[in-house]
Parts: sequence; C-alpha cells; structure tokens
Amino acid sequence: MLKIIIPTAMLMPMTWLSKPNMIWINSTTYSLLISLISLPYLNQLGDNSLNLSLLFFSDSLSAPLLVLTTWLLPLMLMASQSHLSKETLARKKLYITMLIILQLLLIMTFTATELIMFYILFEATLIPTLIIITRWGNQTERLNAGLYFLFYTLMGSLPLLVALLYIQNTTGTLNFLIIQYWAKPISATWSNIFLWLACMMAFMVKMPLYGLHLWLPKAHVEAPIAGSMVLAAVLLKLGGYGMMRITILLNPMTNQMAYPFMMLSLWGMVMTSSICLRQTDLKSLIAYSSVSHMALVIVAVLIQTPWSYMGATALMIAHGLTSSALFCLANSNYERVHSRTMILARGLQTILPLMAAWWLLASLANLALPPTINLIGELFVVMASFSWSNMTIVLMGTNIIITALYTLYMLTTTQRGKYTHHIKNINPSFTRENALMALHLLPLLLLSLNPKIVLG
Amino acid sequence: AHDVKTVGRLGGGDRDGKMSEIKKKIQSILPGGDWNPLYDTSHLPPESSDVVIVGGGVLGLSVAYWLKKLEKPRGAIRVLVVERDHTYSRASTVLSVGGIRQQFSVPENVQLSLFSIDFLRNINEYLAVADDPPLDIQFNPSGYLLLASEKGAAIMENNVKVQRQEGAKVCLMSPEQLRNKFPWINTEGVALASYGMEHEGWFDPWCLLQGLRRKVQSMGVLFCRGEVTRFMSSSNLMKTASGEEVNLKRIHEVHVKIDQSLEYQPVECAIVINAAGAWSGQVAELAGIGKGPPGTLQGTKLPVELRKRYVYLWHCPQGPGLETPFVIDPSGTYFRREGLGHNYLGGCSPTEEEEPDPGNLEVDHDFFQDRVWPPLAQRVPAFETLKVRSAWAGYYDYNTFDQNGVVGPHPLVINMYFATGFSGHGLQQAPAVGRAVAEMVLEGHFQTINLSSFLFSRFYSGEKVQEHNII
Repeated sequence: MLKIIIPTAMLMPMTWLSKPNMIWINSTTYSLLISLISLPYLNQLGDNSLNLSLLFFSDSLSAPLLVLTTWLLPLMLMASQSHLSKETLARKKLYITMLIILQLLLIMTFTATELIMFYILFEATLIPTLIIITRWGNQTERLNAGLYFLFYTLMGSLPLLVALLYIQNTTGTLNFLIIQYWAKPISATWSNIFLWLACMMAFMVKMPLYGLHLWLPKAHVEAPIAGSMVLAAVLLKLGGYGMMRITILLNPMTNQMAYPFMMLSLWGMVMTSSICLRQTDLKSLIAYSSVSHMALVIVAVLIQTPWSYMGATALMIAHGLTSSALFCLANSNYERVHSRTMILARGLQTILPLMAAWWLLASLANLALPPTINLIGELFVVMASFSWSNMTIVLMGTNIIITALYTLYMLTTTQRGKYTHHIKNINPSFTRENALMALHLLPLLLLSLNPKIVLG
Repeated sequence: AHDVKTVGRLGGGDRDGKMSEIKKKIQSILPGGDWNPLYDTSHLPPESSDVVIVGGGVLGLSVAYWLKKLEKPRGAIRVLVVERDHTYSRASTVLSVGGIRQQFSVPENVQLSLFSIDFLRNINEYLAVADDPPLDIQFNPSGYLLLASEKGAAIMENNVKVQRQEGAKVCLMSPEQLRNKFPWINTEGVALASYGMEHEGWFDPWCLLQGLRRKVQSMGVLFCRGEVTRFMSSSNLMKTASGEEVNLKRIHEVHVKIDQSLEYQPVECAIVINAAGAWSGQVAELAGIGKGPPGTLQGTKLPVELRKRYVYLWHCPQGPGLETPFVIDPSGTYFRREGLGHNYLGGCSPTEEEEPDPGNLEVDHDFFQDRVWPPLAQRVPAFETLKVRSAWAGYYDYNTFDQNGVVGPHPLVINMYFATGFSGHGLQQAPAVGRAVAEMVLEGHFQTINLSSFLFSRFYSGEKVQEHNII
C-alpha cells in the first residue's frame, strides 16, 4: 500500500513546486500513473483478502473502490481546469492540494484494517470536502450546504465512535481481519439495539438514507465540479463500504433491526426518483438520482445475501462512474450557458454533437441499460430483494421505470428539440472535456465485458 | 466627573472603549447574539440568476410575469428585475396618459393591443394573488376618436380596413355623424373620423404596475434596487454561412451597482432583457451594441432615445361630458376626459425642431399656450375658456428609426433580448409584448403574435415598420 500512499502524498510537494504552466499537466499525469499502480490490486485471490501489512489490506470489496478513487483524481483535475483558470496561482495550488489530501485519506480509508483507523479517516475526509465546497462553491448558499453536509455526517458518526470503542473493549480488537472470525451472534437486548443503531447511523447518513438525505442535494448543487464528482462517486460509497464491513459484527440482529431502514430505503428510492421528474436544476436532478441509486445499495446491504452484496458492489462502482460522468456533462453545460436550468439550454445535439453522444451514453448507463454493470448491479439487488420479500418487486419495478423516465427527460430536454437562440455561440467541446467523458465512460463500458472484477 | 476621568488617564485613554468592544464581541458570539462571519448581503441581489431584466417598468414586469407564467416546470427560471428608481418618479409608465387603442395601421400593433385589452379586462384572473384585494384598473371604455383631414382620409380608410381585419371594432364617421354624436366638436377641416367602439379607452397605469409587481413577487421574481453599470461578456469570432466574420458576444455577468453606494454585485446570468424604457439606448451601449464601423451590423446602435413630452391637466366647466372619447386632432393635439369633474388631460407631440431638452422633467407652460391650446380651442369651442390645473412631463422611449417597438434578440449579442422603444404606446402593448418576449426566450420563436418585423435586424436592413397617422 505504501507504493500508492507515498506517491499520492508526494503529489502535494510536486504541485507546490511546479512551474505555473505545468501544475495541471504534472498533477494530472502523475495521478494517472498512480491509478495505474492501483490496478493490480484488482487481481484478488479467491475467497480471502490480500493482506498487505498490519495496517492495510485489500479484498475484493475494497479493491474496486480503491481503483475508482485513484482513477477519479486525474478526472477531477481535468474537470476543474476551466473554472479555476481565473484564480490566483496559490489558490489553484491550494485547490489541487485539497483534492490530493482527500484522495490520500480516501485511499487509506478504503484499505484500512483497524476499524478505528477507518473511522478516523472517514471523519477526516469531511474536512477537505468541506473546504472545497465552502471556499470554491458557486453561490452564497454554499455555506448552508457545507453546514448541512458537515453536521449531518458528524451527528451520525459520533455514536459510531462510541460503539467502536465499546466493541474494542469487549472483543479486544477492532482489526477487521480478526473480527471476521471472532464475531459472536448478538442477542436482541436494548443495549444491543442501540449498539446496532450507533454502528449503522453514520453510514446511513452518508449513503444517504431517504430520511437523512437533505444534505446531499444542497452539497452537490453548491459544490464546484470536482467536489460534486468526488462526493457522488466516492464519498457516498464510503457509507456503503462501511455498512458492508460493520454488518459482519452485528449478526443476527440485522434481520429485525433492518426493517425500518429497508422500508425507508424502498420508499425513498421511489420518492427521490419521482422528485427527479420535477426538477428544473440539472445538478439537483443528478443529485436526487444519486440518492435513489444509493437507496438500492442500502437495501442490498441490509438483506445480506451473497448475491445482494455482489449487486451492491457492482452498483457502487457503476454509479460512481455514471454519476461523475453526468456531473461533468452538467458542468460543461453550466460553463457555457452560466445557468443550471435545464430548459434554458435546449437542443444541444445540433450544436455539440459529440457531447450529445456522451450525454446519450451516460444517460443510458444511468437508466441501467444492458449490458452495463449498472444493470447487473440493479438486477442482482432486485433479485435478492425479491427473494427476501415478494412485494418489493413492485417498488423496485416502479423505481426502474421512473429512473428511465427522468433520465430520458433530462436527455431530451437538454439535447433534443430546437436550440434556443441564446446558445448559438457557445464554445465547441474542448478536447479536455471529451477526454474527460471518454475516461469516465470507457471503464464503464469495458467493465461490462468482465464484470466479475467488480462483483465483490 | 467624566472630564476628570479622561484627563486622568493620559496614556491609556482608550482602554475603556476597547473593553466595551471586546465585551460586545463576546456577547454577540454567545448563542442568541447576531454574529455573522460574513458581512450582511441582504441588500445585494443574488450572485446568479437565470434571467436579468434591466428596468422594472410595465414592460420589464410584464416580461417577468409571462416568463414565470409560461415556463413549463413551475419555478424553473430564476428572474431578477433590476430597477434603479424604486419610486418610479421618472418612469414612463406612471407618467403616461394611460390610453389604449387598437387604431394602428401596422397589423401587429393592432393584434398587440387586442390581446392587451383582453388582459386588462380579465386582469383579476391573470394577476390574482391569494389573500390580496382584487385590482381596480379603472378602465374607461370611452374609445378613441381619430380625426382626419382631407389629405389623411384615404389613409384612415385603409387603416380601418386593416384594423377590422384583425378584429378591432372601429367605425368610420362622416362630419355629419360626428356632429350628431358629439355636438361639442367643431368639424371644420375634418373629412373623416374613426371611432373605436369597443376595447378602447384609458386606464390607470399605476394600478397595472402595482398589480404586476405584486403578482410577480408572489411568483418568486426577485427585485433589486440598483443600476446596471457593466456587462461582462465573452466573445467568439465566428463565420456566417456566407463566409463573413462576425463577432458574437454573450453576456455572462451583469454588474449591478447599489443605489447611493459604491458597492456592486456581479450577477451571473444566462439571459439579459433590456426593458429599460427611455434609457434602453444607454444600456445597449454598455453591452457594446453599436460599437463598430457605421453601416455594419456591428455598428448599428439601438436607436432608442429619451424624448420629453408634456401632459397638461385643465378644468373646463362647459367642456364635453361623460361620453368624451380620447380625441386626436389631425394637428397632433390630443385630449381626454379625466374623472367626473370636467377635468381633461391633453397634450401635443412637438415637431422635430421644437423637441424639448430631455435633461430634466420640467414643464414648459408656454408650449401649452402656443401649441396645444389654439388647436384645442379650434376643435372644441368650449375649450376657449379653460384653466390649467397642473402639468407634468414624461419620457417617451422614442425609437428614432420608425417609432415602433423593438422586440426580440440582438443578432450579435446573443443573449440580450429587447422589449423597448415603443415611443408612446408601450404601456398599452405591454402585456402582449411581455408574452411575445417570454415566448421568444422560452420557445425560440413567436407563438401567438408574430412580431418578426419588430426584430432588431430591421435597423440594419433598413425595413421600417412605420405607422401612418400616429401621435
């Protein structure tokens, strides 16, 4: 692991010492190289995990997430070039440093063995994200958004700290590899119920669960593009990853305790999809669609069958790439028209045809078109929840339909139709933007050829 | 005792003040205090808005209203109206005489007025706000009476034909019929008259303005009291189909300066609507319209400038009664009844040579004596004895090209739309023009009334849309 962590940490001095016209080039290329280093971790042994050191390990759940995280840094840097072009040099370097710190913390989070280290890094990722949202966001509401983001997550995760310390005291260790084998079934006493809640709430807020999702649309809409990308693609998956790890300790109480959260997720899935149908702000639509997809992951993790875990992992990776791609597309729109309202920038297919192709691909991926891994993930989750309870198929089916509806609505509103007069002179697509989209969608399409890499 | 204290502390005189400051700071940080880490920006407009409407008169508010009414998903577009004079003391809307007529010669103008009168008749259906009293626009449907001399009789007949085709109810009267209907008129020199029988008259412009303002605020439009001082735009050099190079500009930021301060707020916007009335020409210059070699599209300015017009209010106890329409004399003088106490409003458009200086809104009373009263007295003998009660002056947003409105986008500054230049008949066409501009912004083309002959490009191509026989 050090071979990834040290280079990532060294990206920081490299940024500060680069010449002004080389900062973007340097940081982007070296972060791409680092992502190549992380690829071998995908070559996982069958059932067991690759134990790399006392502190770090990677198994078939965390390896795809690790690769996603390292892959995303160069993409974030490419996406931020345009809106930072007017800032001073020190601010640009500071922004890149924030992203690198975030990357570092995320890499360590996904590969941590000790649950306490996981927790500390989980909380630490909030800080660079908060700085990015509040300092470089677009509008005055970003302070409110940052506040919501910070305090929702903190409130949810403080009980987790208490629970982890308690588990450390009772079982003597929080090392994940040991705990897998040491976990005893816990009975349904009141204190165990609170223990279960304390463990799960942090991740529920992070996912986000439907009732606790208010921070997400705000944070996504107000964040700059790199902030939105990393939030949607990786930070939400922290919740899913954490849930998958911690449910091992909480058997078999999960069977009873999970009911309210299952209900919230199932219902919230349909609700947030329906809200998407009425959204006028493009980023807000994509943010709510993130909530909807993550609700599926919550359902999958709470069911706890092998197939549902596979579906959850695949869905996390797929959603990370798709959501990030959609945010990049929305940002390219926003940089040209200076407005996020969908109906003000219509008919872009005639003006920017290549970008329309990327829009089409990203939208098709979002609505879980076969054979993308989005579909595989969703299908596994649907099948698992059907076997858990037959009635859920109604809600799942409704969600799939509504997802298709709002995705196509977004596609046709922005791309089809007659273009409005005031977008006649927008700049054509930059190579950087096309490269960005290609780097998002190419892995997604390639994974549909060999999905077993991401099926934890 | 206080003096002794300050004299006594020669070196540390300010310690008391510093202590109280620190105490105040601590108090404000504690819960319950109002500490704000950032300075208060509630008086500033938002940092971004989808549409910025420059000018909060009746045209600007009408565009805002129709934008919010016609947008497909409700609440999609954020609109900001920037008005620098919140008392509307110099705005043309409230200084207007408030007449509405369909007697134009350009068919589009007739259509615009027809829709506007429909809007005004049903104003409480359009502009209803929950829990607020209904509007009383005080519409007097007394009609317009245009008088024509021998020379203008043929043109008037043609005009009436056009108006009837569009659906206006106008009747032609001979001098005999005139004398029968309006015995107070002196028909000397009048060959033909056209009298609007329905949908014409006058109303209270202030009520329309307040109604629109109230409704538009309830629909979520933001108001800002400030002046637009700068447009930040980005330009692209592009080639047209015929190969010539044009420089297309897009405004991406509007700098709004707050009243009576040096503070300004850059508002990021996607669309700018120029509804600044008489000052539209200056706003257009800020956006760079007209900066180029004359004779090219780059160098075509927006030909809207301020023109001062006087309105006089007089009292004449023997004057015409309740049935008095809005009379327009062939000499250009006009008058109408005002209220029920034998008061009348009227004025006259000066010729090009006697244009008053538009620097201020001072009234020239000699103008009344020399130019308005004689033709009035000749046309209505009762007006020989009248007493001027008061007078005021207002600006026309005068379109020096063809005295008709400019509507629609600018061909080069891609995201600036115009709704201005109506040269005295802006108020009566405001609802319809607002709808047309909103359709242009939302759909990309005019849907209900086709105003393509009112686009900006006519200034470059030279096609005038001129009225025959206007004030």
